[in-house]
Amino acid sequence: MNSEVALGGERLLRLLQLASPALPVGAYSYSEGLETLVTREQLPDAEGLRHWIEQELAVGAMRLEAAVMVRVYEAAIAPELPDLHHWNQWLSALREAEELRLQSWQMGRSLYRLLLDLDPNIAPLLKACGEPSDFAVNFAVVYAIAAAHWQIDQRAALLSYLHSWVSNLVNAGVKLIPLGQTAGQRLLLGLAPAIARATDEAIALPADEFGACGWGQAIACMTHETLYTRLFRS
Amino acid sequence: METAVTGWQGLLELEFAAQDGATQLSRSTMQAPLKVQRPFFPEGDRVCHVVTLHTAGGVVGGDRLSTQVRLGPNAQVLSTTATAGKIYRSNGLTAAQNTQIRVASGGCLEWLPQETIVFDGADYRQRLRVDLEDDALWLGWEITRLGRTARGETFASGEWRSHTEVWHDGKLLWVDPQQVRGGSSVMTSAHGLGGCPVVASFALFGRRLDAFSPDLLTQVRQFHPSSQLPNPSPFDYAITRLQSGLLCRYRGSSTLESRCWFTQIWHLLRPPLLGRPGYVPRIW
Repeated sequence: MNSEVALGGERLLRLLQLASPALPVGAYSYSEGLETLVTREQLPDAEGLRHWIEQELAVGAMRLEAAVMVRVYEAAIAPELPDLHHWNQWLSALREAEELRLQSWQMGRSLYRLLLDLDPNIAPLLKACGEPSDFAVNFAVVYAIAAAHWQIDQRAALLSYLHSWVSNLVNAGVKLIPLGQTAGQRLLLGLAPAIARATDEAIALPADEFGACGWGQAIACMTHETLYTRLFRS
Repeated sequence: METAVTGWQGLLELEFAAQDGATQLSRSTMQAPLKVQRPFFPEGDRVCHVVTLHTAGGVVGGDRLSTQVRLGPNAQVLSTTATAGKIYRSNGLTAAQNTQIRVASGGCLEWLPQETIVFDGADYRQRLRVDLEDDALWLGWEITRLGRTARGETFASGEWRSHTEVWHDGKLLWVDPQQVRGGSSVMTSAHGLGGCPVVASFALFGRRLDAFSPDLLTQVRQFHPSSQLPNPSPFDYAITRLQSGLLCRYRGSSTLESRCWFTQIWHLLRPPLLGRPGYVPRIW
């Protein structure tokens, strides 16, 4: 396993900006099924949340999202524009719970528009996935394209993406369960090996091994649509 | 070194055509152990009903089964299977089943196989690809039991993989790449199967689903699985909208429970989507 990465100063700063919770894409408003679990009293504590996130990284849809990001990154470097279109469509088709699909598209659209403003040279890569008005470009795809366009190391880009995803879920858990801020930070730190492992596996995963199992996760996300009270949008 | 060819190379190719409002099985090719029985028309000549079967009893390692179903414009077909499918413990080789479905505009395929029982130690990969043209419709379910739980068997080793893709006019609408390794943590964790031996999905796709009203979704949601048994085991289920589609997921311990729930939804949606009332195949 080799999760070592080295980044020059400017690239590191760009990556920090991309992965920052301050990125205006609204990630904080989504719980990805955690709100359902807490409402149904199926997620009582930090240990339960740790297990849930680890499973999602190791065998859930997130494992495939990361593997798709590897393909998107490589297609953006090449560049192979039809591949960008294909993998964006593939990810939309994978995100079966309607709220998760809408989340991915909303965040993707926000980042898409932001990047067009920040760095217009990225436009051809983004437009290969679709126009922002299509409302169907996935956040993970836009993120991977931005990382490739800014020549950020692939492994670093994946690590940062997964870390930012985990960090957001931990924050949702802190609010919902609830947990103390320190407990949340301890949890996030403890999940580092799982994030590194998921990154390495995503990079090594051959396309005919794309498989996942997250029936509990899928049902929790789908059930969220009908929860009586909702603080989160997924 | 010589590679021994082992196992069945089963083949089933079915083509259906509609003429003057009547659908016929216009061409069929069969190679053992796959077979189709003579079509019948319990709902009149508009809808062609077929029952396919696996004459060898079950699928063993090394088997390569391939099914192709094509519906011409406006063809209406309901397809089911004669018995539950069985996937036996592997002899060291992987068993594979590939199904390709193409439905032309105006056509509708109701794909309602009986459940598949995956024995402990089975090594099985199935692929299903559905291509819909223009105003075509496909609805189908997949009910899988992992391990012969009635005998106290669990799926402790082996692998079950099921890859489903649904396309509409060249656009991928849904991809469902399922993978369960026997005895792995996904079988017990709440995130995965939560200890449930039965997983089942019912999906409907077609351009007509784009206009699927919130009212209809509310009606679909009034149904829920309910056990006929005195001591029901826990189950979990949910419904969501897909791109031009609808998906129902179930995890629990009863194949009958999932099929009864799916049938309620299927019967609710048959009149508005297909313009015909609910129907229960006698073979079940």
